[in-house]
Amino acid sequence: MFVRLFLLQKRLLKKYSFLVMLCLAPLFAAGINGLAKEQSGIATIALCVPEEDPVAGEVADRLLAGEGVFCYLSCEEEAEARALVESGEADAAWIFSGDMEEEMQKLAEKRRVRPLVTVVERQDSVSLTLGREILSGAIYPAFSYAVYESYVRKDLGLEEITEERLRQTYESVAVEGSLFQMVYPDGTPGENEDFTYVQAPLRGILAIWFTFVGFSATLVFMQDESRGVYGRIPVAKRLFVSYGACAVFLVDAGVVLLLACRLAGVFTDWKREVISCVVFACCVLAFVNLLRLLCCTPQRMGMLLLPLGAVMLALCPVFLNLQYFRAGKMLLPPWYYLQSIHNTRYLYEMAVYTAVLILISALVQRLQNRAG
Amino acid sequence: MRQAGAYFFAQIKRAGRLLPGLLIVNLCVCACVGALAYLLVTQGALAAGGTRYRIGMVGDLSDSYLGFGIQALQTMDDSRLMIELVGMTEEEAEEAFSRGDLYAVVRVPDDLMESIVSGENDRLITYTAGQGQKGLGTMVMGEIVDLASTLVTRSQSAIYGVQRVLAEEGRGEEIAWETDRLNLMLINLVLSRSGFSEVEVLGYSQGLSMELYYLSAIILLMLLLSGLLNSAFFARRPAALSGFVRARGVGAVWQILCEYLTYLLLLLLDLFCLACPIALGLEQKLISVPEWEGMGAEPFRGFLLSLLPVAAMFAALQFFLYEAAEGIVGGILLQMLCGVGMGYLSGYFYPSAFFPERMRLVGENLPSGVAQRFVENGILGESARYAGMAVFLYLVFFLVLAIALRHRKILTV
Repeated sequence: MFVRLFLLQKRLLKKYSFLVMLCLAPLFAAGINGLAKEQSGIATIALCVPEEDPVAGEVADRLLAGEGVFCYLSCEEEAEARALVESGEADAAWIFSGDMEEEMQKLAEKRRVRPLVTVVERQDSVSLTLGREILSGAIYPAFSYAVYESYVRKDLGLEEITEERLRQTYESVAVEGSLFQMVYPDGTPGENEDFTYVQAPLRGILAIWFTFVGFSATLVFMQDESRGVYGRIPVAKRLFVSYGACAVFLVDAGVVLLLACRLAGVFTDWKREVISCVVFACCVLAFVNLLRLLCCTPQRMGMLLLPLGAVMLALCPVFLNLQYFRAGKMLLPPWYYLQSIHNTRYLYEMAVYTAVLILISALVQRLQNRAG
Repeated sequence: MRQAGAYFFAQIKRAGRLLPGLLIVNLCVCACVGALAYLLVTQGALAAGGTRYRIGMVGDLSDSYLGFGIQALQTMDDSRLMIELVGMTEEEAEEAFSRGDLYAVVRVPDDLMESIVSGENDRLITYTAGQGQKGLGTMVMGEIVDLASTLVTRSQSAIYGVQRVLAEEGRGEEIAWETDRLNLMLINLVLSRSGFSEVEVLGYSQGLSMELYYLSAIILLMLLLSGLLNSAFFARRPAALSGFVRARGVGAVWQILCEYLTYLLLLLLDLFCLACPIALGLEQKLISVPEWEGMGAEPFRGFLLSLLPVAAMFAALQFFLYEAAEGIVGGILLQMLCGVGMGYLSGYFYPSAFFPERMRLVGENLPSGVAQRFVENGILGESARYAGMAVFLYLVFFLVLAIALRHRKILTV
C-alpha cells in the first residue's frame, strides 16, 4: 500500500506543471504580503490643515496616528485639496477651518455643534460616511476639553482659574485606553494578529485552491481508472483506493497551504494550523470523492468546477461575510476550515461532516455497484 | 488549407458534443448567481432601506446609565439606521451567532459601570465579530468601536475634571448635580457630532458607479474563470494527437488557430448565457444601474460588444494555460489560481482603489486589469486606444506562446 502511494507521489512530483502550480500558491501569498505593507485605505482623504492652528494640528495628528482603514494625503491649500478630489486622486477632502481653535471655543461656550470642517466629496458612499464618523471622533477630544474649560469658567463661575491649572487637572484624571477589545470565539485577542485587509482574503483563496487540488486529484483518478490502472481492484473497494490516491495530492498541497499561510502573514500557531489543515484535507477528500461518484465522468466533473468555485467565493468568508444561506455554506469544506481556525466547534463539525460524506459515498458506491 | 478547414470542423464537432452539458452548466451558473442576487436583494445586504446589523448584547444591562446609553443609541443616534442592539443571554447569543442571525456579539462585563464611574476603565467590553479570521468588515468595526471608546472616555475625562475642580474648590456638595448636568450636555453634543462637518458633494464621477463597477467585475470574473467551465474541451487530448495531425499537414499554427477559434465560440456561448438573464433583469428593472437608469437593456447590449475583444483575449490566456500545463489537472489548477489571483489584484472583488499603489499598478497591467480598463473606457465613452492595444498585444502574446508550446510538443512526440 505504502509502496503504491510512494510510487504515486513520485509520479506526481515528476510532473513539472504540478510543481509549478504548487509553487505558484506560496509565491502569490508572499507577493501579496510584500505589497500589502505599503499604505492603503478604503478611501483616500485629502487633508487641508492650517499650519498655525494648534487644534487643527491636534485633530490631524490624531487622524494620522493610527493604522486605520483610510489613506490620508496632506495638502497645504484648499484649492489643492479640491483639485485632488476633482481629479479623482482623492475620494474626499477635509478642509479645516482657518481659525478652528477660536470657533471651537465659541461653540463650546454656546454648547452647540456647528461645522468646523468642510468635507468635499465626489459622491457620497458608505466608506465616506464612516470617514466622517472618524473625523467627528478625532474632533471630539479637543471639543470635549473646550466644553470642560468653558463649563468650569462660565457655569461654575471660576473665571479667574488659570489655563495651566485647568490643563493639569484634566490630565490628572484623563481616561486613556480603549473600552473595547476584539476577541475571537476561542478567546484569542484580535490584536494578536497583525495583518491588513489586503492580506485577509488570502487564507480563503488558498482554501478554495486546496479544494480544487482535491478536484484535480479525483480527475486524475478517473482518468487512471478509465485507462485500467485500477483494473485489478474490485469496484467495491475503489472508493478507499481513490481516497489513498487523492490523499497523495492533498499531502503535498497541505504542506504548501501551511507554508503559503505563513508567507501570507495570516498564520496563527502550528498546532492549531496543522490540526485544522489535516481535518480540512480529510473533508475535501470525502467531498470531492462523493462528487466523483455522483458525476461519474471527468467531463461532468469538470463542468461542475465553475459553479462550485463561484459558490465557494460567494458563500465562504473570503471576500464577503454574508449572514444568510447557512444551509448552502454548510455543504462547503472551506467554510468549516476558515471558521475552525478560531473556533474549535467548527473543527468538530467539519469532522462530523466528513464522516457523513464518507457514509453517503459508501452508500452511493454500493448502489452504483448493484445498478450495474 | 483544406486540411486545416477539416481540422476546424472536427473541432467544431468536438465542441458540439460538449454543448448540451455546457448549456446545462451555464444555466446552473446563471441560476446560482441569480438565486444569490435575489436572496441578497430581498433579504440580505441589498434589501430596501439597507441592512441593519443585528448585534447581540450579552451581560448585565440593568444599570440605568448603560440602559440609557443603549436606548439613546437605538432611538437618537445616527447609528440606529445601521445597527440593531438586541439584549440576550450568553446561550441565546451563541446560538444566534452560530446560526448567522447576529453580525457580532458584544459582552458587557458585570461591573462595567463601576469601572467607568471610578475612572479605572479596567473592565473591557469584548466583541466577537465576523466569521473566521478578521477581514475588512471586522477592521471597519474596529474603527467604529474606537470611535465609541473615544466618545465615552473623553466625556468621562471632562466630567472627572469638573468633579476634581469642584472638590479642590471645596464645593463637594455640588458635584452630583453638576455631574448630571454636564453628562446630559455631553450626551446631547455627542448625538449631534455629525454637525462638526459640512458636506459638499460635487455629484460627478470619473469612474463607474459601484453597481456598474461590480456588474462588469462579475461578468469579467466569470469570463476569466470560464476556463474551468470549458475544461472538458481540453480533456482526453493525447499528446501524440498533435504529431499525428501535423503528419496530416496541419502544422502547429493552424492547429492552435483552429482549436482557439472553436474555444472562443464556447466562451462566447458562456458570455451569451450569462448576458441573457442580466439583460432580462435590466429590462424588467430587477437590476438597477444608475448610469443606465430608464434605458432598459439597450446600453447593456453596447457594453456586451465591448466585451468581445476581452473575451478573445481571455480565451487566448486560458488556451495558453491549458497548453502550458501537462494535462487537464495542472490546467484546472492553473486556471483557478490565475483567475482568482488576477481577479483579486485587478479589483474584481475589492475595488482596486483599496490597494497600495504598487499592488494597484501590478493589477492594472495584468490581462485582467487591462480588460477592466478597456471595458470601463467603453462604458464611459472615453478613448480606449491604449487599453485596446494592450488587449490586442496580450491576445497575440498568448497565442504565440501557445503556438510555440504546441510546436515543441510536436517535436518531442
